[in-house]
Amino acid sequence: MKLKDQFRFIRQNMKKNRMRVFMTILASAMSVAFLIVLASVAFGLHDTVIKDTIESPEVTQIEVAGKDTGNGNAESLTNQNITEIEALDGVNAVTRAKQIRQETRYVTDGYEINTQTVQSHFPSMENAGIELGEGSFPETKDEVAVGYHFALNLLKDDVADEDIEYGEDGHLIPEQRFSGEIIGQTFDLEFKRMEDGEEIAETVPVTVTGVLEKPGREWAWDQKVYITDEKLAELEAITGTSKAMLTDPSEAGEDIGYDTATVYADDLEAVKSVMTSLEEEGYYVYSIVSEMGQINTLFNIAKAGLIFIGTIAILIASIGIFNTMTMAVTERAPDIGIMKAIGASPKVIKRIFLLESTYIGLVGAVIGIAVSYVISIGVNLALPMILETAFDEELPAGLQFSSIPFTLVLIAVVICLAVTMLSGLRPAKRATEIDVLKAMRREI
Amino acid sequence: MIEINQLSHQFVLGKKGQQSRLDVLKNISLHVAEGEIVSIVGRSGSGKSTLLNLISGFIRPTEGEIIILDEKVSEFTEEEFAEFRLKNMGFIFQSFQLIPSMTAYENIELPLILKGMSEQARKQMTLDMLKTVGLENFKDHYPSELSGGQQQRVSIARALVLEPPLILADEPTGSLDSETEADLLAFIKKLNKERGITFVIITHDDEVAKIGDRTIEIADGELVRSGVFV
Ligand SMILES: Nc1ncnc2c1ncn2[C@@H]1O[C@H](COP(=O)(O)OP(=O)(O)OP(=O)(O)O)[C@@H](O)[C@H]1O
Ligand SMILES: [Mg+2]
Repeated sequence: MKLKDQFRFIRQNMKKNRMRVFMTILASAMSVAFLIVLASVAFGLHDTVIKDTIESPEVTQIEVAGKDTGNGNAESLTNQNITEIEALDGVNAVTRAKQIRQETRYVTDGYEINTQTVQSHFPSMENAGIELGEGSFPETKDEVAVGYHFALNLLKDDVADEDIEYGEDGHLIPEQRFSGEIIGQTFDLEFKRMEDGEEIAETVPVTVTGVLEKPGREWAWDQKVYITDEKLAELEAITGTSKAMLTDPSEAGEDIGYDTATVYADDLEAVKSVMTSLEEEGYYVYSIVSEMGQINTLFNIAKAGLIFIGTIAILIASIGIFNTMTMAVTERAPDIGIMKAIGASPKVIKRIFLLESTYIGLVGAVIGIAVSYVISIGVNLALPMILETAFDEELPAGLQFSSIPFTLVLIAVVICLAVTMLSGLRPAKRATEIDVLKAMRREI
Repeated sequence: MIEINQLSHQFVLGKKGQQSRLDVLKNISLHVAEGEIVSIVGRSGSGKSTLLNLISGFIRPTEGEIIILDEKVSEFTEEEFAEFRLKNMGFIFQSFQLIPSMTAYENIELPLILKGMSEQARKQMTLDMLKTVGLENFKDHYPSELSGGQQQRVSIARALVLEPPLILADEPTGSLDSETEADLLAFIKKLNKERGITFVIITHDDEVAKIGDRTIEIADGELVRSGVFV
């Protein structure tokens, strides 16, 4: 029997019971749509998270916290370590910083600010592609760069402590803060040194040449002052301690390592190999790429779980297919008996019924997939609007709630077909077992 | 054509645990030659239909063997028997056994479809067959829209369309009036003469038995007479 004729049989059979077949297809379509839409949320959010990570500038950065000295003790990085790291394949630049170990105060005519001072290596920042919001990187000893929020917290010195007011953004109100041009402004850097148990005030001049960009994170504040290596050397010479620590030079230990160091890899691919090399050398490293593995595992578990729940829906729908096929076989038993008597082979009869149940499953799956795409697009359009009005909060751009990749479609189709074929198996087998004589006597 | 050796058949009756056996056919041996018309007669319940069903492969014998066209069909699998039936046997039943949801044309076409023939070839053969049985004007009628005689002609057309060498008929005239019956018998005779088709016909009717070259009588599951009808 030709396949074409088998399909003709199936179509004729289905026409006889349009309503029942329609309802069965509807049930399987709904179950497939349920599975896909459910799982698409995990796929969508995963995509969003991954995209967010990959597109963030931090993705090529590796933070190096220190180096294992062999006996489990960590040591901060030295210039020699930096040189080693810079020589690694795939490393673009290594930015590093040392924090001044005392409170510093910057004063210019009529304004003042208490803030931290950090020594930075500006050439490597430039190499790393870090851009300033304004001005240029310091080049000579007295030049400094300041954080984005520095000027916003530069207080007029005639405001009494109790009158200081902060705006909604957490910074000083405009009337109390510096409003001039910060670039080119010269400050006195006020700090102290310890001599014979007494604090002695010292002052050195600095000039602002650049302002850093606003930090990427909404909540991050940066009002620090970034000074050059030479400036730090000058401060250290005055205090007689490393990192200008406020202790008696005779009591101060040596602390020459960098407090933070960040490796900038050439690209995303290089991050992994650089990480591995660093780890082999005993460096303590961290990068968001290493977190991505965990994120992937988490989302994959979520996806599997949701697909499993969806599969249960398909299994429930398959009960409908089983019923429909069983009834179809029962109804057509006399016809099947006659066909068998004439010489239809049991194999062909089985195939016809299996094809029919598969066909129902397939049509259901196709409709379900189409519906899922519509729902998915609708959800992606509507949910952000609903959430934004309900919670009055702007959602991050590019947020995708639901995404239906081809693999999900494939998984759904495979599950649906497998389940429908299984549920059609038993009725199909029953069809082949129909007794010719009983069927012809219409005894079934 | 057909060779039956020491064929016995028992039906198992009753529920599990309290079964009894019913001997329906006992040690039957017979031979049907090619081109013969053989009629099988006997009282009701004597086992005629059972014998024909065994030859058709609808049931399997308890003992003995059946050889048709040099093939030991009693040892066939279901699959093999189906193929063999399609190729070599045509069936005419007392109650016609047409598929009610198919037209006369479609019922006759069915064996050709099962054989896997192309639509082109099927159309020609089906129309030819409709003409042979004189139903060309009724091709789109459903069985419920045909008279008993017309239905029987459709079922004959279906049995003949693949031109099998053997046709088995269980009381083919049982539902027909005497005139229609005469037509049918003439047609059988003609097919036998012109195409050399072998017929095995079960009947209660002497008129039908008369067209046979030979009559076999079964009583209580045993072959009691096999000879030329006089
Ligand atoms: N499927 C069956 N199960 C059990 N017993 C059966 C079955 N089919 C037939 N029999 C028994 O076998 C015997 C012979 O039946 P069969 O149908 O062969 O008779 P028959 O000669 O064709 O009768 P009739 O002329 O009335 O058609 C009967 O006693 C019947 O009760
Ligand atoms: Mg009978």
